[in-house]
Amino acid sequence: MSDALDSLRQEVRDWLAVHAPKDWRARSTSEAAFLELQRSWFATLAKGGYAVPHWPEDWPGGGRSLAEQKVIYEEFARADTPRLLLSFMSTYHAASTLFEWGSAEQQQRYIPRILEGEIWCQGFSEPGAGSDLAALRTRAERKGDVYLVNGQKLWSTMGQFADQCLLLVRTSSEGVKQAGLTYLLLDLKAPGVTARPIHQIHGDEEFAEIFLDNVEIPVANRLGEEGQGWAVAQSTLSSERGLTLLELSARMRGALWRIGDLIRANGRGEDAGVLRDFGRLASKVDATCAVADQFLASRIAGEERVGDASIVKLAYSRTLRDFTSLGLRIGGLEAQYHAPITFGGGMETGNWMADFMNSYAWTIAGGSDEVQRNIIAERLLGMPREPKNWVVKEGAA
Amino acid sequence: MSMTRAELQDAAAKAFGGDLTPDAAHSWNLIAEMGWLMMAVPEDQGGLGLGREAVGVIHQALGRTLVAGPAIAQMLVIEALSAAGGQDELLGRAMAGEMMSASLTEGLSAVPDADRASHVLRIEAGRISLLPVEGLVLTARATWDKTRRLFDVDVGDAVGVVLAQGDAATALADRLSALRSVALAGDCLGGADAALAMTIDYLETRRQFDRPLALFQALKHRVADMKTALVAAEALFWARAGDEATDAVAMGTMKAHAASVYRLIAEEAIQLHGGIGLTMEHPCHLFLKRATLNAVLGGDADQWEEAAGRRALNA
Repeated sequence: MSDALDSLRQEVRDWLAVHAPKDWRARSTSEAAFLELQRSWFATLAKGGYAVPHWPEDWPGGGRSLAEQKVIYEEFARADTPRLLLSFMSTYHAASTLFEWGSAEQQQRYIPRILEGEIWCQGFSEPGAGSDLAALRTRAERKGDVYLVNGQKLWSTMGQFADQCLLLVRTSSEGVKQAGLTYLLLDLKAPGVTARPIHQIHGDEEFAEIFLDNVEIPVANRLGEEGQGWAVAQSTLSSERGLTLLELSARMRGALWRIGDLIRANGRGEDAGVLRDFGRLASKVDATCAVADQFLASRIAGEERVGDASIVKLAYSRTLRDFTSLGLRIGGLEAQYHAPITFGGGMETGNWMADFMNSYAWTIAGGSDEVQRNIIAERLLGMPREPKNWVVKEGAA
Repeated sequence: MSMTRAELQDAAAKAFGGDLTPDAAHSWNLIAEMGWLMMAVPEDQGGLGLGREAVGVIHQALGRTLVAGPAIAQMLVIEALSAAGGQDELLGRAMAGEMMSASLTEGLSAVPDADRASHVLRIEAGRISLLPVEGLVLTARATWDKTRRLFDVDVGDAVGVVLAQGDAATALADRLSALRSVALAGDCLGGADAALAMTIDYLETRRQFDRPLALFQALKHRVADMKTALVAAEALFWARAGDEATDAVAMGTMKAHAASVYRLIAEEAIQLHGGIGLTMEHPCHLFLKRATLNAVLGGDADQWEEAAGRRALNA
C-alpha cells in the first residue's frame, strides 16, 4: 500500500513542479486578481485530475481513497499552492449533497458544471438563525410548479461571486421547527435575488448577505422531499470535516517560519520568554496536526465517533488563535500599522493584525467553538442535553 | 511491534484497572511479572523489543491509577544497561524486578525508592555509571505527592561500573532523557484521563438547584475544553513516542505539553468537585500533587520550550 502512496506522492510532486502557480501571494493584492487566480488554478487542477479527488469514481478526477487524498493535500500544502476558496463550497458542500440526495437528472444537470467552474454558495444562516439554524424563517410557498421564496440569508461564503446557492427554507410552521424545512437549489441570477458583500473586520469580503424578494424556484430544484430539508442540510454540513482541517493544520505548521522570521527581524532571538512561547506554540501546532491525522485514521478505519470532528475543529481554531496572537504580540507596534491584505492568502499571511482578526472566522464560522463544546460534552461524553422548554415558557408568560 | 498498542492497553487495564493507589509492593511484583520492565529491551538481550510506544502504554496505565514505585527510574537503568552491552548479569536482574533506581531530574537528586534499590544510575557529562547503593548516603526528601518516595543520593568518591563514556555517554544520556519524557508523559496522560472521567462522573451525580451539575453549560464547556486538550496531547504523545527518530528536545517538549494538560485537568477537577475536592479523603488532590511533580521532573516546561523555540527559530 505504501509503495502505491509513495509513487502517487512523487507523481503529485512532479505535477506541482510544473503547474503550481509561482509568486501568487505577491500578485493577489486585489479582489479581481484573487478571482482570476482562483479560477485559473481550479481549471488547471480540473484538467490535471486533482480538483475533486474526494468525488466518487464515476466522475472525472474522483475515486481517490482517503489515504490518497491525504497524500495529495500534504503535497499541495508543502508546495504552498493557493487553497481553493472560491470553488470550495461547490466541490465539497454542493457536490456531496447532490451525490447523496440528488436525482440522476439533478446530478447530470449540476455536477459537470461544477467541474467547468460554476461557483456555489450556501444559504443557511439568517439574521435570526445562527447557531440555532433550525429557527430560520425564509419562507417558501408552493405555487404549482414553483416555490415562491421571500427572506434574507447571511454569512454566505463567497456568495457575491456565486452562480448557484444551496438554500434552506421554511415550508411549514407546524410541529418541531426542524420538520418544516425544505432544501432548494437556487440560481442566483433569478429575478428577485440580490447578493451584497459583508465587510469583515480585517477588510476582506469573504461573506455575503442574500436578499430574496418573491423569487421563483422550480419544484424540480428541490433536494429530498418537502419537510426533509434538515436531513439534507446535515449532509451539506458534514461534507467538509476531516481533510480540510488536516490541510489547514499542515499549512499552519508550514507557516511557523513566519513567526521565526519575525522574532529574528525584531531582535528577540535571545529572549527566553519569546523562545518559550514560540516553542510552546510549535508543539501545540504539532499536536493539532496529530489530532487531525488521528481523526482521519479513525475515519479510514470506520471508527469515527460523533463529536470527534468537533475536537479537531476546536483544537484547530484555538491553536490558530494562539498562532496569530503570538505573531501580533511579537509584531508590536509595526503590526498595528495598516498593511493591505493578501486576498485568499490563507490563515497565516504574516500581516499579523489581519491574520489575528481573520482567525475569528474559524472560532465562529462552521459551528462556533461554543457549539462544538456542546457537541463534545453532550454527544461524545454523554453529558445531559440542554432542556428545550425555555421558549415555550417564554411564550406562555 | 508484535503486540499492538490496543492489545497492550487491554492487558495493562486488566492489571491496573482497579482502585486508585494500589499497594506498592504488590504493584511492583505485578509490573515485573507482566514483563513490563523488559518491554523495550531488544529480543537478543532477553527483552521483548517493543520500543518506546510500549513504554508509553505502560506508564499511561500506571498513571491512571497513580501506582507508586520506581518504574520510570528502573526503565532508565535497564535502557542504560542494555545500551552499554556486556552487562547481561545486571540487566537480567533488573529486568526480573531487582530494584535499581535513577534520578528523575539532574545530578543525583529525586531518585525514587533509593533505599530499596540495589544500584543507582549516575549520569554525568561524558560518563554514565552504575553504583551499588550500599555505602552511599541517602537523604529522604518527603514530597507532597505521597505516591512517590524521592531521595537525594551522595556518592562521595564511589565509582561503580562505567557503562558509557565520551560521545557514547552523551548519546546515551539523550536517549535516557527522551525515554524519561515518554514515561512521564504517559503517566501524565493516564492520570489526566482518570481525573477527567472522575470529574464528569461527579458532575453527572451531584445535584444542586434541582438538577445535575452536568446540565450547566458553563461547566460542560470547561469539560469539553479539557477533553479537547487531552485528545490533542494524546495524539502528540503517540505521534512522537511511536517515532524512533524523536530526540530528547522533541520528546521533552511533548512531555511539557502533556504535563501542562495534566495540571489543567487536575486543577479543574478540584474546582469542579467543590468542597469535597479540597479534602484528603477525596482523591482529587492525589492527581494535582502528581501533576505538579511530573511537571518539574525530567526538565520543566521553561527548559524544553525554550530549547524547542530555539530549534524552531533555526529550522
